[in-house]
Amino acid sequence: MKKPSARALFARLFGSSAKGISVEKSVLTGYAAAGGTKVCVIGTCDGTYIDNAAALRLAAHVIDCIEHHPKAPIVMLVDSAGQEPNRVAEMLGLASYFGHLLSCLELARRKGHKLITVATGQAVGGAFLCYGMFADRIYALDSASVGLMPVEAMSAVTKIPVAVLRKLSKTMPSLEFGAKPFALLGGVEEVWAAKDDVQAKLAKAIATASTEDNRAELGRKRGGRKLALDIRKKVLAASAR
Amino acid sequence: MTGTSLFHEQTARQRIAALVDPRSFAEMLPPPERLTSPYLAQLGIPVSFDDGVVIGKAKLGGKEIYIAAQVGQFVGGAVGEIHGAKLTGLFKAAARDQVPCVLIIESGGVRLHEGSAGEIAIAETMRAIFECRAKKVPTIAVIATDIGAYGGIGILSTCCDFRVMTEHGRLGISGPIVIEKWMGKKAYDSANRALVWKTSGGKTKYLLGDADALVHDSADAIRDAVAKLLGKSSAITLTSVKTRQKELEKRLKRFGDTADPDAVWKAMGVRDIAGASLASGPEFAAMAKRGK
Amino acid sequence: MEKFAKAFPSKPLKTTAGKPWALAGVVGSGNLEVLVERGSRPSDAMDCHVETSIPGYKASWLAALADFAHHYPAGGTKVTINDQGAPPVLVTLRLRQAYDHLTKGEK
Repeated sequence: MKKPSARALFARLFGSSAKGISVEKSVLTGYAAAGGTKVCVIGTCDGTYIDNAAALRLAAHVIDCIEHHPKAPIVMLVDSAGQEPNRVAEMLGLASYFGHLLSCLELARRKGHKLITVATGQAVGGAFLCYGMFADRIYALDSASVGLMPVEAMSAVTKIPVAVLRKLSKTMPSLEFGAKPFALLGGVEEVWAAKDDVQAKLAKAIATASTEDNRAELGRKRGGRKLALDIRKKVLAASAR
Repeated sequence: MTGTSLFHEQTARQRIAALVDPRSFAEMLPPPERLTSPYLAQLGIPVSFDDGVVIGKAKLGGKEIYIAAQVGQFVGGAVGEIHGAKLTGLFKAAARDQVPCVLIIESGGVRLHEGSAGEIAIAETMRAIFECRAKKVPTIAVIATDIGAYGGIGILSTCCDFRVMTEHGRLGISGPIVIEKWMGKKAYDSANRALVWKTSGGKTKYLLGDADALVHDSADAIRDAVAKLLGKSSAITLTSVKTRQKELEKRLKRFGDTADPDAVWKAMGVRDIAGASLASGPEFAAMAKRGK
Repeated sequence: MEKFAKAFPSKPLKTTAGKPWALAGVVGSGNLEVLVERGSRPSDAMDCHVETSIPGYKASWLAALADFAHHYPAGGTKVTINDQGAPPVLVTLRLRQAYDHLTKGEK
């Protein structure tokens, strides 16, 4: 299946208002409309690697939104293969740049901006953790590659044969790679199919978002992540004693 | 006796015992509850009763705290579903009870054997950390070993109000071996320990302002540093994020093309590079003119 | 992985004071964790459960545990072990450490 261009994808999500999104070195920032209201858009495309400069540009745009467009929903599009694996980036504290981006998003949340993520392409590892997974609600296109890593990569690092991992992933969706198994874990609220009216879906997502992190509940309900919620509750009960 | 041994050589349980007031630690979800990873069991990998993280309530200098210590020896301290849920629960409890939370980090990030469940758990813990911060409940990360804070846990550590490091501690996202594979040995020789530590070690992190304290590799020194931070919190405001944005822009502009960590040290006011390399954490902190 | 359980004759645990459980060691390469728990009533057996990543050494495990049960009054305790290839000398050391923590209340 040929991947749609980034521009085609923006148009699918935001219609003609997608022209308000600018792309520079596969980092996107701008303002568009969803459900008739102005939204701030940040994100990545082309499966780019996120480096210090990219994180700063995303953060700057979130700050701009907080300052100039109070309470405007922030839509985060994710298509990134990971954090830039680079020694200078690490030396300069890439983790801190990501932490700063997360702090900006947290400030936005507290100031009443709804945060919605749409995983559009690759949504993996540190690149997903540093902004997309921090949303109030996370959605994914069914064509998106969502998760920790494909089974082959997991096998290469853990030295566990691919066949073993594949067999186990039938009963443990956490080991499977993709938007659907990720949704079973509660990591994605809903997967959007090619035939879906994603503009309407996005508008609804914004309208219904709440700041309560519901992923553990979802994961338990959907059966993909059965332990997390109970363990958390046990800790909360034990600490209250 | 534990107070005099090197912090990085101790086990997670010993670290907690050495850090907090004597006999004040009460473990939550202790080993007899046998909350072990079903993923590891299915894969034929040994499990551990605490799933690689010890959590509980304690007192430090008479003040109540929540505390967690990751077990680096157990699957690299990596975060699986149970491990991560224990952390999420602890930070949520800290936010609910308005009790400071100290996290002694020793983790390479997500536990690959548990796939995406560990990744989501880290994201959930980040949210819980920011719940604490919204309520001005201090969150303090201690990074004191060579396993350090990497991957998602490296990112998570930067979500806490403060980071206390030792010169042994390392903080980053991608480890040296991954980067060497990616960029080649010329760009990053992962066997060059001096380079590795000057890239991600406590001294450089302190110098650039990413670690808030750089202390001796002992429980006493770490306790002192943590105790000083317990009453503080770093608020996230429009002013604070704008200031931070400028700092990080300035850092990138100054050093974005600098491959040599010694040049960064020099530019940050370290005159005697050889001496500073050999200096202990606190000696280094005294020598360094930190640039924010 | 290999898993087995066996109870060994042992004189009843003397003290009733001390902690309800104790843990020694860490699961890591060449290491193990030993959890010793106090039973609810006196008994003349030490109940052992072992999970080890290195199969084929059941006989030496049983010998080490039998020896420990013989030398220490550990009747009524439950010993649970998660092992990642620890050498025999370390197994004995961890058993003793956990037992000492349990009976003397040391951390």
